Amino acid sequence: MKKVLTLALGVMTAIGGFMDIGDLVTDALIGARFGLSMVWVTVVAVIGITAYSEMAGRVAAATNRTVFDLVRERMGAGIALCNVLASYTVTALTLVAELCGVALAFELATNVHYLLWVPLVAFLTFLVVWRMPYEHMERLYGVLGLALFVFVAAVWHFGPDWGQLFHDVTHPLIPRGEGRPTYWFYAIAMLGAQMTPYEVFFFSSGVVEHHWSRDNLTEIRANTLVGYPVGGVLAVAIQVVAYLILQPQGIEVKQLSQTVLPVVLAFGQAGLAFAIVGIVAATFGSALETLLSSGYIVAHHFGWRWGKFESPVGATRFATLLIVTLLGAAAFALTTIDPIRITIYAVYLGAATLPFTYIPILVIANDRQYLGDLANGRLANVLGVVYLLVVTVAALAALPLLISTKGGL
Amino acid sequence: MPDLVVGLDLLDREILDVDGKPVGKVDDVEVSDPERGPPEIVALLMGPTAYGRRLGGRIGRWIEASGAKLAETDEPIRIPMTSVAQIDVSIRLSVPLKSIERATRLEDWLRERFVGRIPGAHRASE
Repeated sequence: MKKVLTLALGVMTAIGGFMDIGDLVTDALIGARFGLSMVWVTVVAVIGITAYSEMAGRVAAATNRTVFDLVRERMGAGIALCNVLASYTVTALTLVAELCGVALAFELATNVHYLLWVPLVAFLTFLVVWRMPYEHMERLYGVLGLALFVFVAAVWHFGPDWGQLFHDVTHPLIPRGEGRPTYWFYAIAMLGAQMTPYEVFFFSSGVVEHHWSRDNLTEIRANTLVGYPVGGVLAVAIQVVAYLILQPQGIEVKQLSQTVLPVVLAFGQAGLAFAIVGIVAATFGSALETLLSSGYIVAHHFGWRWGKFESPVGATRFATLLIVTLLGAAAFALTTIDPIRITIYAVYLGAATLPFTYIPILVIANDRQYLGDLANGRLANVLGVVYLLVVTVAALAALPLLISTKGGL
Repeated sequence: MPDLVVGLDLLDREILDVDGKPVGKVDDVEVSDPERGPPEIVALLMGPTAYGRRLGGRIGRWIEASGAKLAETDEPIRIPMTSVAQIDVSIRLSVPLKSIERATRLEDWLRERFVGRIPGAHRASE
């Protein structure tokens, strides 16, 4: 039973991290616009995020040190500071998107405009970070996030032609009317949405906060191996229902309400209720993760006292940074910028910063002086190098594609 | 003390106090006067002034200047090597955090003026 409970960290990181506003939007948008031609990106992303989270978790368990702590030690203060600024900006931007995501889910449930919900959502986020025990937090959102399986149920409900679906997945074609640059723009956005950098920071910090050591390696591996694939299944299900229902109607996803439309068609009000509970859990969980992660990034660089187990008065610089970040994000959300656009940009920029997070993890995971027998084996190194190439190519292509497609329009 | 490569084994490494509490990072090191024999590392330096000075450039100078203004001195926080117990994955001190001068100044100031005044700040959320 205890073993099952320890999986909660992985499931929460998966539901709240893998499945967040970025995925809810990009999966539906891509399913409606590009069909199943990008399911392969999800498969690629799941394997990559699993490999690097396992590595970061193993490093944290063996050395008690987190990603940004090691980034600075291995890359030097100058490059590490640039990395901190970029990662903090992207993570805080993601927080803006998640706050809007929770508020949009409340709008779906109540018909009250989402901007009115933003201050309340920000306050709830503050309360949980300030007061709620870590373990309760992860279990609650992990369990409620499972409501998103309503999207998987919807796939069965529509009874698709499985052979045809499988064929579409294995023979990806760029749909007529879509340019190649646009296709690759969204492929990178999807990669960024599913391999979001904060997942790795959050997971490695979680391992340190749980005081997990080399004895907990099984838990760490189980968490990554169960958690991310669960997120991947949900992501594919959202793409499939969007492809089945939204594409024939020519619906272009510009709002969260369109993401849930297929579920409403399948199961009516009950389906909507499940979807809303799942979306609130996933986006609220991600709001907490991105908020804490933006604090971790800075605190680990400068060597501040930090953490959720520490009382706020015991880590006042960290606590102050969290409050300032949350207020800033809420204020930005209230400027009435389009939350869906912000989400796309946040995941896209996230993809561009990935190599800087992954290089030091890969280097440290190979350091036998630090990790001893827990250093990378051959499988981890092959995956590590291949994915480093993948994210580097994506990061290099990101800016030209952003400009040439005008943000995927 | 065994041979150390300053850039690899000391700089940017995490410092923990005698109880394992994080103290900060090694932002710079102080080297003894080379005219009085072979240079030796005599202290670890910490804080925005040391950090900014080492970073250099416009951003470094800005960090150094604002750090000096906040701390009301341009001297970095100094931990003599005699207080260092062990150099490993982290640097372990033989003294508690409280005994290091000015190391908790900003934390204390924020506690009194801001964080400590917010309800619920005093209990750990575990």
